[in-house]
Order: sequence, then C-alpha cells, then structure tokens
Amino acid sequence: MSQQIWGNPQRWDAAEWQSEATWADRFMYIDPYFWSYFGVALALATSIIGASWGIFVTGVSLLGSTVKAPRIRSKNLISVIFCEAVAIYGVIMAIIMIGKIGPIEDIPTEQNGINVCYTYALYCGYSLFWTGVSVGLSNLICGIAVGVTGSGCAISDAQTPETFVKILVVEIFGSALGLFGVIVGIIQCSGATFPKVCPSA
Amino acid sequence: MSDPIPPPDSAYFFGYIGVASAVVFANLGSSYGATKSGVGICSMGVLKPDLIMKSVIPVVMAGILGIYGMIVGVILQGKVANCSSAQQGYAYLSAGLCCGLSSLAAGLSIGIVGDAGVRANAQQDRIFVGMILILIFAEALALYGLIVSLILSQT
Repeated sequence: MSQQIWGNPQRWDAAEWQSEATWADRFMYIDPYFWSYFGVALALATSIIGASWGIFVTGVSLLGSTVKAPRIRSKNLISVIFCEAVAIYGVIMAIIMIGKIGPIEDIPTEQNGINVCYTYALYCGYSLFWTGVSVGLSNLICGIAVGVTGSGCAISDAQTPETFVKILVVEIFGSALGLFGVIVGIIQCSGATFPKVCPSA
Repeated sequence: MSDPIPPPDSAYFFGYIGVASAVVFANLGSSYGATKSGVGICSMGVLKPDLIMKSVIPVVMAGILGIYGMIVGVILQGKVANCSSAQQGYAYLSAGLCCGLSSLAAGLSIGIVGDAGVRANAQQDRIFVGMILILIFAEALALYGLIVSLILSQT
C-alpha cells in the first residue's frame, strides 16, 4: 500500500498526471530516498576525488624533487597523509548519513496523515542531499588545497630544509577546510533521521 | 500482509544505472592508471631496461581497480533483480556511483603518480619505496569506495 500512495497521494493515474500535475508537483514527488542516497554518493565520491587530486599533485612534485634530494622522501609523505585524511572525512560522513536512512514502517491512510508523513520524509531527504553537497565540495576543495601546498612544500624542502615546518603550518590550515565541512555536515544532518513511524498531524 | 507490492519500475532503472556506473567508471580509472604509468615505463625502459619489471607495480595496482568495479557490479546486479522497493533501487544506484567514482579518482591518481614515480625511480633508486607508499595511499581511496558500496548494497 505504501508504495502506491507514496509520491502519489491524490492517486492520480497516468492520464491525470499528464493533465493535472504541474512542474512543482513533479519535483515534489521525486522520492525523498533518491535525494538522501544521492547525497551519500555525492559526499563520498567528491571527497575521494578531492583526496586523489591532492595525492597526485603532491606525489608528482615529491617524486621529482626526491631525485636530487633523497632525504626529503619520508618527511614529505605527511602531505600525502593529509590528503588521505580528506578521503576518510568523506567515508565518515557517508556512514553517518547512511545511518539516518531507514524504511518507514507505518504510513497512515488518511490524506492529511500521508501529507504530513511525506513532508517530513522530504525534509530528511533534502537535508541529506545538501549535506552531501556541502561535505563533498568542501572536501574536494580541501584536497586540492592540501595537494598544491604539499607540492610546494616538497619542492622548497628539497632546496632549503628550514622551510618544511613553516609550510606544514599552511597545510594544516588548508586541512581545516575539510574539517569545517564535516562539522557543518554533521550539524546539518542531525535532525534528518527518517522516521520509523510517521508523526501525527 | 497479503501480497507484497512490487516496486515501481523506476527502482530497476536506477538500480541498473548503479551497476553500469560501478563497472564503467572503475574501468575508466583502471585504464587511465595503466596507460599513464605504462607510457612512463616505456619511456624509462629505453635507458634502464632492468627496472622495467619492478616498475610494473603501478599498472598492477591500477588493474585491481577494475576488479573492484566488477565485484560491486556483480553483487549489485544480483540484488537489483530481486529489488523489493524503490528505496533499495536508489540505494543500489548510490552504491554503484560510490564504487565507480572512487575507483575513477584512484585510477587518475595511480596513473599520474605511477608515471612520475617510475621515471624518477630510474634516476634515483631510493625513490622506489616512496613511490610504493604513495601508490598504496592512492589505492586505499578505491578501497574506501568499495567498503561504502558494500555497506549500501546491504539495504
């Protein structure tokens, strides 16, 4: 029963959807579960794209500079580890968000009850989607920032060892961007647990 | 409950998009990793042919990404066929996208780092360990995507 009413509370058939539904209706009846699961995928995939971008930008410079200054190899791997941490932020957020998604067991039968239930589920879905966007894009940018800084760090360390620690401070500031994204994301999805039982009207 | 309601047809549509994206994007990443590193090996091997077999490691690591995509694709296609709700269809879409795009990103990274690494390794032997460490970090990215995909496929 829930499948047929969910997203079709007026119980329109296909012809009625064609003639009566506005674009707003069609947008509103995009399944909330789609929004939430797509947010999970966005959070994870964009974070990992950011981490990988950072790793290759740093890695190339590190490997190139190590040819003439082999002593820098082990110290500068810390830049790569900072980029990996960005990916781990994405994994943590994805797992938190997956925990918020769950089936709704009991959908009421009368129209008002269905609307209240659907509205609450839409709120959860939209919240998780935009959490995914904010976390994912922050981590994407953080990964690139840490990667570019790490690249400069390796090159300058190869020439002047004293600069390593100072540029590491810049990298730490860059890595804080991802952390901001995670903090905001956790707050953003904090109230977005899908209800097991629909709230009463 | 008397009869289970079948899921809407869109559940299968999105589920199979997940299957396809897992395989396609993972293979894209794997091929980019293999070709970019391979070109580096070919350039480097002209002057240092003894190092060629050691330098094939980035190519092997890139190949593993294709296997991750295949694993997730096979697991998901079995589940999509028995999909019982729209929610599951979207979960399988998300699982496929997570694995595929993570493997794509990891493949990009493995390719570019592998290319630079094998060329640098030819000039300085101490670089080998550093190159392997960076490649392992890049490979781990695909593993994270695989783990989250497998968690999502359990819904």
